[in-house]
This record gives sequence, structure tokens and C-alpha cells, in this order.
Amino acid sequence: MDAPLLWLSILVPLAAALLTLAWKRGSAKALAILNSASLAVSGLLILCSYLSWGIRGLSFDPLYFSIGGIGVFALSMDAVVFLSSFSVAAVTAIIALYSLPYMEHRFSELAEEGVEFPGWRTYYFLYTLFALSMIGTVMSTNMIEFYVFLELTLIPSFLLIAFYGYGDRVRIAILYLIWTHVGALLFLIGALAVGNNVGFNFIDVQKGFLLGLGEKLGAAAALAAGLLVLGLAVKMAVLGLHIWLPYAHAEAPTPISALLSPNLIGIGGVMMYRIVYVLFPDTFAGFSTILYVWALATMIYGGLMALSQTDFKRLLAYSSVSQMGYMLLGLASLSAFGFAGAILHYMVHAFGKALLFAVAGILIANLHGLRDITKMGGLASKMPYTAALALLGFMHITGIPPTVGIWSEYLIVRGAVEKALGMGAAWYMGLVGALLLGIGLSTAYAFLTMKRVFYGPLREHLKEAREAPPSYWAPLIVLAVLGVATFILASPIIDPLVSQITSVMGGA
Amino acid sequence: MEALLLAWLAPYLGAGLLILMKNRSWKEKSAVAIASILTAALASTLAAWKVIEAGETLRWAVTWVSTLSVDIGVYFDGLSSLMALVVSWLSFLIAVYSYEYMGHEEGQTRYWIFFTFFVGSMMLLVLSDNILTMFIGWEGTGLASYSLIGHWFSDEEEHWVGDPGRRALGKQMWFEPSHSGLRALVFTRLGDVGLLAGIATLHLVTGSTMFKAIADGGWAPTLAQDGVLLFFLWMLFLGAMAKSAQFPFHEWLVTAMTGPTSVSALIHAATMVKAGVYFFLRFAPFLVAAAYVLEHTVPGGAVQIAAFLQWMAIIGGFTAFMLATMALVSRELKLILAFSTASQLGYMFLGAAAGTLVEGGLGGMYIGFSHLASHAIFKATLFLAAGAVIHAVHSRFIDDMGGLWDKMKITAVSFILASLSLAGLPPFMGYWTKDEIIHVSFQGGLLLPAILSWVTAGLTAAYIARAFSRVFFGEKHWRVKEPHEPGPYMWAPYLILGTASLVLGLAWPWIGGPMEEVLRGSMGVKALEVELVSKVSAPLVPAATLLLALTGLLATIYLYVVRGADLYAYVERSGFVRALHGFLYDRWYVNSIYYIVFVDGIRELSILLKKYFDSLIVDNFYHRFIPSAVMATVRFTSGTLEKSWDKLLHEYLVAAFKKAWRAFKSMQTGCLSHYISYMWLGISIVIILLCLIMGCKP
Repeated sequence: MDAPLLWLSILVPLAAALLTLAWKRGSAKALAILNSASLAVSGLLILCSYLSWGIRGLSFDPLYFSIGGIGVFALSMDAVVFLSSFSVAAVTAIIALYSLPYMEHRFSELAEEGVEFPGWRTYYFLYTLFALSMIGTVMSTNMIEFYVFLELTLIPSFLLIAFYGYGDRVRIAILYLIWTHVGALLFLIGALAVGNNVGFNFIDVQKGFLLGLGEKLGAAAALAAGLLVLGLAVKMAVLGLHIWLPYAHAEAPTPISALLSPNLIGIGGVMMYRIVYVLFPDTFAGFSTILYVWALATMIYGGLMALSQTDFKRLLAYSSVSQMGYMLLGLASLSAFGFAGAILHYMVHAFGKALLFAVAGILIANLHGLRDITKMGGLASKMPYTAALALLGFMHITGIPPTVGIWSEYLIVRGAVEKALGMGAAWYMGLVGALLLGIGLSTAYAFLTMKRVFYGPLREHLKEAREAPPSYWAPLIVLAVLGVATFILASPIIDPLVSQITSVMGGA
Repeated sequence: MEALLLAWLAPYLGAGLLILMKNRSWKEKSAVAIASILTAALASTLAAWKVIEAGETLRWAVTWVSTLSVDIGVYFDGLSSLMALVVSWLSFLIAVYSYEYMGHEEGQTRYWIFFTFFVGSMMLLVLSDNILTMFIGWEGTGLASYSLIGHWFSDEEEHWVGDPGRRALGKQMWFEPSHSGLRALVFTRLGDVGLLAGIATLHLVTGSTMFKAIADGGWAPTLAQDGVLLFFLWMLFLGAMAKSAQFPFHEWLVTAMTGPTSVSALIHAATMVKAGVYFFLRFAPFLVAAAYVLEHTVPGGAVQIAAFLQWMAIIGGFTAFMLATMALVSRELKLILAFSTASQLGYMFLGAAAGTLVEGGLGGMYIGFSHLASHAIFKATLFLAAGAVIHAVHSRFIDDMGGLWDKMKITAVSFILASLSLAGLPPFMGYWTKDEIIHVSFQGGLLLPAILSWVTAGLTAAYIARAFSRVFFGEKHWRVKEPHEPGPYMWAPYLILGTASLVLGLAWPWIGGPMEEVLRGSMGVKALEVELVSKVSAPLVPAATLLLALTGLLATIYLYVVRGADLYAYVERSGFVRALHGFLYDRWYVNSIYYIVFVDGIRELSILLKKYFDSLIVDNFYHRFIPSAVMATVRFTSGTLEKSWDKLLHEYLVAAFKKAWRAFKSMQTGCLSHYISYMWLGISIVIILLCLIMGCKP
């Protein structure tokens, strides 16, 4: 890579964030445009560097720092990084615009409650800080570098929940902070165990992926890799470690839910491939059967929980748990297609779930805080655009074309089948049975929610409902279009993804 | 060549254009939609003409996703050309019908968007040379079907299916559009998961998703050796079974009738529900090839293919019979036709399975496709005509019809022509195609499905005769002022189709053979065929079938038209008949059982898990147990440990010093003799200590 595009993709939003803080006279609208534009620029820089370099293989930003005892802090780009970082940049750029009408509404609510709260500048400063550090996490090449970026995501998101969230927001913000730190800490212990022996880099600027480096730890490899997996599994909210997610994602201010739910938790999955698999291919393979069963259980469990939720945002939160099951299933399959499916699913879920949370937010903001599904019904006649966006969102997460969801669903199933068939007939039959249940449940809760919210006779108390102003839904159309466009332009995404992952795996 | 891409691309482009036409008039939107579908029809006609004339396949494709070997393009071989013709021209005629039928309804833009999107997806499904692209089309049709079934999503009662208020085993037996759409999607998606896993398996084993890589059956030995062949085949065909509404997936199709009648005609009778059959026909020669490969590699492998086909035959025969019995008692015109559709799809499955078993891949394809085409034509006619009738009398119940012959002659004639074809009477097309299925089932020695399908032939004639007798003849029960014939945009399509089922039937002896020749040019059809079952002769079957159908038809007409019988009164008289009627009317209680077992079961499981696992155990474990354990530890350390340490240092120790100091103070009496004795005591102790330490002996 000739130009420091990757550093720029982080520094441009950082500059915008600092400017936001300093710009005392900036109107809310100007701040929204500034921050959204900076993230859009970041997305374009990522796209440029992918199309020019990353599409052909792993490449690095020319600027990197060597820190004694810790290793090299570089930023990398390849298909995996592109899919995750571009998803973050695109979603955050769009949700930054959506935030404008939504937070306007939220601020007036808070003011009515008589709560003291920091205003627009703080909101956008924290928002953009949160966004850029998520971009940084996936580009990292060093575990400490990743950890630093990860910590940087946690603080702003914690503050955003504590300042602007719903319900018992301070308690939930602390709950969120503690949980994510438990995850981060487990990760850190694992990282230190690795780093003190073989260094913290998992990608070397000269040598590329340091495949199997961690295996040099010998007997301690299983422990170190186990801690890394566990730490990232907390982040992903896999079954048993999921219980913080419904609180945090349901009560965060909705634009933040739209970033937390798909973008932040999915990073756990992406890095499980990029750090744990790369450093410990054999140990990870040893874990894979447990992870495989865990993934299927998470998928089914999340779906079952989503079915009985009455709060729209909580339903979406459990849906995210289930979606992380899909992602983990791809990772646990240990096949190039499965890995590719998991990474692609990051993007699918980012687009789809951001749309859905945004739709939930439209209902909250425009229907007097309505979030109880049992009190909804028939809204499609009054809010056709919102309904169409919700349908597209659900199509993403259930894998229905013409959205990109069908590709990730196929890749994940393809990987899962490969692993199951390798393990014998009973596994194969069990897998298909579990998929029938898991995907069946996803379809059921998704379209049951469509029916309960948007179809049926219009409820009496909703007679006055009207379509939200375009400032809410117009930015979301871009997300929906991205989801359809990536379905059609699948080749420049899937082909490099599969072949790059294959070549990484080939070195094992 | 590239222009042939329009066969599926044109309707998609139409859909895209329609999204932008929200504020245009109905006429303009309809023009765009109909023109895009006509383009598709012309493109496929051109291609089919070339295929038939030259006897070779046409393919134009570009790579879509190379790592998955996914192509996008068009592939016209014998089977796909004929199928594309049926689909595109029926879509065109029904689109024309829609122009008048939907002209005054809500949601016009949405209707055309999903209508054209459906046609595009269906054509993509048919014309793919790649199983994954086919699956994408397949899912697209499912989405369109979902949306159009729930077109009237505000659920007014006039759009319901079933008797409002009726319950069977405690479960409601009426269905609103939004409910029906959900049912359709969930049912068919369940099957699709099986299909998706099947595709992934084929991709894994063959390394490709192209049909031509699958056609030679080379995947079969691997799967047979892994011991999953039969299970794999079931899963691969699960999507086809669900899409084509085979038992146990038939329920969704019944309630899909909440959609506009034009949609029922196109999607839920003529085209989409045939996708499963089409899939079966596509795979018929592949299965034969697989059996052939297995015969030479894995002992006992070929038997598994035959066993699978026999199962498909049984499912087809059973579906045909089961749904026909339901059609006998239904009171809703569209429901009768829906039951009939599922029943006829059962025939097609049976025909494809039995045909492949007895005659090989080409035979299965020919027998299955013939009935597919004939059914598409007569069932589209029946639905379109039914739409006109329901419009005319403003009721979906046949109890509110009767004697419409005088008022709607064109509709009646078309309906009756198609009914006779459905009943399987010569010289209509249905006679030839259904007869072949029943015949081949007997030839294959498939006793159960053969007998079921034979009985069903009688039932079919009876239920459709009941339908047209009660709609067009007998007493007039309608309550509207003056039912009348619709306009030409509506009657022309069904008159054309009704006539076609007669004309094609008349011409069948001349076109059947050439059609088989065209199908011979389909992928995977080989001269060399493996014999899966030995053929037995069944000479009397055609005559017996015809006799049964005629009896059913004439007896029913006699009963309703000549005698004017009131069978409801008869049903009420006997307890047994009433119970039987209820059993059939409530669809063998299958729906209720599904709701009790699956819907309630999963809901209960979900609620129980939420209440007792997620909240009680997991949530409490992390957010109550762990924090309170921590708090307890804190209390213990601060309350017990820390406090006692504190006390020890700051109270006991201090007190001890105080005491010592007080004792010391009390020693200072000021009396010299005391001080001397202290000194003496002190020196003695020092000396003793010194002695002990130094070890000196006194």
C-alpha cells in the first residue's frame, strides 16, 4: 500500500470527533453531517484500499510503530478486514444521520424527565470515537493493539448508554461495562500468556499471518487459546454468556443499539478467526466440535427466546444472540467456506440488524415510546416505508434474496455440512435437524414479528399514526440498497474472501 | 443470445421500474408489468423454438461467484424450454387478467412489483444451469408468494379463508391474509433448509454447483458409503415437497387462498407450486444415473434410489387422495380448487416417481411434465373463472352461488371445459396425462399409490362436478342484484386457456410423441437406462379409471342438477356421517394437530425457557447469585475478618498495653523495700537467663 489510507480511515473520524468537541457553535445538523461525512470518507478509504490492494491479498498501511516488548502496531487490509471495517463505517455513517431526528426526540424526552444530560457535542464525540475504534479493532495486527482499540470502544459506548439510555440506564451501563471487561480481561490474560512467550503479533508486516505461532506454547497453548476464545465468546454473547446483551441492547439509545448489536458483538467472531485460529490452528481445531454444538445451541436458543419477547428491542437483542450462533457455526466448521460465511455474515447482520433497530427506533420516536409488540398491529398501512425497511431487515437475517443474506447463509451451511459429514452419519443428520429447527425459528420469529407489528387490522390507539419524517427513513434506504447491491456484486466479495482464507489455511 | 437473458431479466427490470412508479396511473403500471412479462414470454418462445427446431441446448452464462462455481445466465434444454413456455405465457395471460381484476384494489404498486418479481424469479429458477442460482430464484418466488398471499394485510373478513368462528380440536379454522402469508413462508422455508443442506452436500462432494456436474450421479457412491444417501435424498427433496405442497407440508397451500385470485391462479396453481415438481423432473435422470453408478460401485446402493422413489410415489399418491377427500366437502370455491391443486400435485409427484421407476429418467420426466402442463392450463382457467364468479356474487362460498349459467355463459363454459379436463375425460388434455400416471403406477407394481390414485380419479370427477353444479346450475342463492360477466380483459384469458385444454387434448395423440422427443434433449437423459423396477402389465387400468371418473361425474351431476339434493340435511341426519364430514371439513385435523404439537409446543417451550432458564437460572446466576456471592464475601471479610483484625489491633492490643501499663504503674509504690525486691528478682532472672543461654553450670 502506497498511502496511509488505513490510518486516515481512523484519523479522519478522529479529527471530526475532536472538531465536534471544540466546535461550540456547531448546530446539531452540522455536527451530524460532519460526523456522518467523516465516517463515509472512512468507508470510501477502506473501499479504495480494498479494491486497490486488499482484494489481492493481505496488505498493510505503510505507517507502523514498533514498540519494544509489545511488537508492531500496524493496520492490515484484506477481504476479512474489508468486510468488517466497511460494514462498521457504512452503518455508522448512516446511523449518524439517523441519530439526528432520533436523538432530538430522546433529548426532549430526557428534558421532560428533568434529567441533566450532555448535549449534541458529547453525543457525536462519543459516537464517532466508538465508531472509529471499532474500525481499528479489526484492522489490528497485534493483540495489545486490538485490546487498546477494544477498550476504546467500551468507554464511549458505556457513556452513551449511561447518558442517554432507557430504563435503569446507569445500572445497565455498569452491567455492560463489567461484562465486557470480564470478556476483555479473559482475552488479555490469554494474550499475555501468548505474548510473553512468542510475542503479541498475530500478523507480521513482512511474514504475513503467523500461522501456528501460538502452538509453540506447548501444553499451555490450550489454556491460552481457551481464554482467548472465552473472552471473545463473552463479546459475542454466546449461549450462557449472553445474558448481558438483552439488557444493554434493549436499553441503549436506539442508534447505539444499532451499532452495538451487529457491529460490536460480531467483532468477537471476526477476531476469533483472525487471532485465535491464526495463532492456534490445531488447538482451535480441537475446540471446534464443542464450539459447533455450542453454536447450534445458541442459534436455536436465541430463536426460541426471540419468539416469546414482547419488547421489540429485546426481541431484536435475542435475535442477535441467535445470529451470533450462525456466525460461530461458520467458524466452528473449520472450512474455508464456513469461515467465509461467518465473516460475510458479519456484514449481513450489520446491515440487517441496523435496519431493524432503526425501525424499532422509528416506532419509539414516532408512536410515543411504543415498543411493546402486543400493542402494535396494522402499521404497514400507515407507515409503508418503515414496513418495507423492516421486511428488508428481516430478509437479511433470514437469508432471503435479493439480499446478501442468502450468500452468508449458504456459505455457513456449506461449511457446517462439510464438518458434519467428516464426523459421520449421525452428525450429518443431527446437523440438518438442528438447522431445520434453527433456521425455521429464525424465519418464524422474523415474520411473526412482521405480522404482529405491521399487518392485521390497525389497532384503535394507532389510528393517528403517520409515516415518520424522511429524516428517519431516508438514510436507511442506503443500507437496504447496500444489502441488495452486495447480493448482486457478490463476486468481488466472496471470491477473494474464500481464496484468501483458503490460502491462510493452506499454510497450516 | 444475450437477448435471451430477458426471459428472466425483463420481469426483474419491470419490478425495478415499478418501484419508481408509485405515483403513476394503474394503466401505466400495468403496461410496464405486462410488457416486461410479454418480453420474457417472447424471449423464451424464441429460445424454445430454436431448441425444438435444432434439437440442441442453448446456453449463455457468465460467472457470478467463481469460488462457488455459480453461473448466471439462461440454459434452455428440452425440459427448461417447455417449462419456460408454460410459465411465461400463463404469467402473461394472468397479468392481462389482473389489469381488470385488480384495477380497483388497494396496494396496486405493491401488487405489480411482487407479480413481476415473481415471474422473474420463477423464470430464473427454471432457466438456471446451476443449482444455487436455481435456489435463489426459488427463494424469490417464495418471497413473492408470501407478500401476495398477504396482499390484503389489513385482514378484512372478506379476504379470509375458512369459516369465521369455526374451531377444530380447539384450534381456529379461519385464516386471515397476514396469518396465511406467515404460514406459507414458514412451511416452505422449512423445506428449503433441507434443500440448502442438500445443495451444500452436493457442492461438497462434487466440488461444483453446476447441474452438469451433478447429472452423472457421481456423488452417490460417496454418500452411500458414508451411510447418508437416503437421508440426503429426503433432505434434498424436502424443499420440493414443501414447495409443491406434498403431505405433510400441504397445509400452507390451502390457506394461501387469501391472496388475490389472480395470484392463486398464477402462483398457487399454475407455476410456483410446480417448482417442486420441476425440481423432481430435473433430478429424475440424475437419480437414474446415480442408480446406475451405484449398481457398479456400492452393493445395495441402487436399491436405495428405488426405495426413495417408491416413498415419493407413496407420498404423491397419499397427497392426491387426502386432499381430494377434503375437496369433496369444502364450501368455498377457491378452497375446492386449492385442495384440488395439492391433490393434482400429488399426482405429478406420483407420476414423476413411478415414471422414473418404470420407464427411467425420460419416462418420469415425460409423464410428470405432461400432467404439469395440462394441470397448469386447466387449473389456471378454473381459478381465473372462479375469480370472476366470486367478484360477481361477492361471496367466496358456493352456498351463495348457483344458477349462474344464465348470467355468465362465457365463464361457465370455460369453467366446465377445464373441469372436464380435471376430471380426466377424453378428449381433454387431463384425460391423457392423468391416465398415464395411474397406468404407470400399476405397471410399477406400486400397489398402494396406484389404488389411491385410481380412487382419487373418481373423487376428482365428483368434487369438480359438485363445484360447477352448485355454482352454475340449480337454485340461485346469490344475494347481489345482478351478477354479470366481467370485461374482456378477464374473460379472454380464461376462455383461451379453457379452450386450450380441449384443443391440446384433441391434438395430444400427435403432440405427445414430439414432446417426448424434445424432453429427450434434457440434461442427463441417456439412452442407457437402468431398470429400477420390473414392469408389470396393467391392461384394464385406463378403462377402469375412465369408468370410475365418468361414474363420479355423472352421479354428482345427477344428484345436484337433476335431483337438486340437499346434502347438508343428509349430513346432519346421521352422527357417523356428520363426524366423517367434520373430519374431512377440518382437513383430517392435520392443521389442528400441527398447532397443538408444533406451534403450541414451541411457544410453551419458549415461554418455559424464558421463565425458568433465561430469567430464573442464567440471569439470576450472573446478576443475582454472583453479585450476592461477592457481597457475602465482602460482608464476611469486612464484617468478620477485617473487624476482628481491627479489634485485635486497635482494641485488644491497646487494652493489653493499657493493662500492662496499669500493672506497671501499680508496681511503683514508692516503698524502697519493694524496689529492692524488684531489683533482686530482676537480677536473678537475668542471671538465670544468662546461665540458660551460655550453658554455664552453677
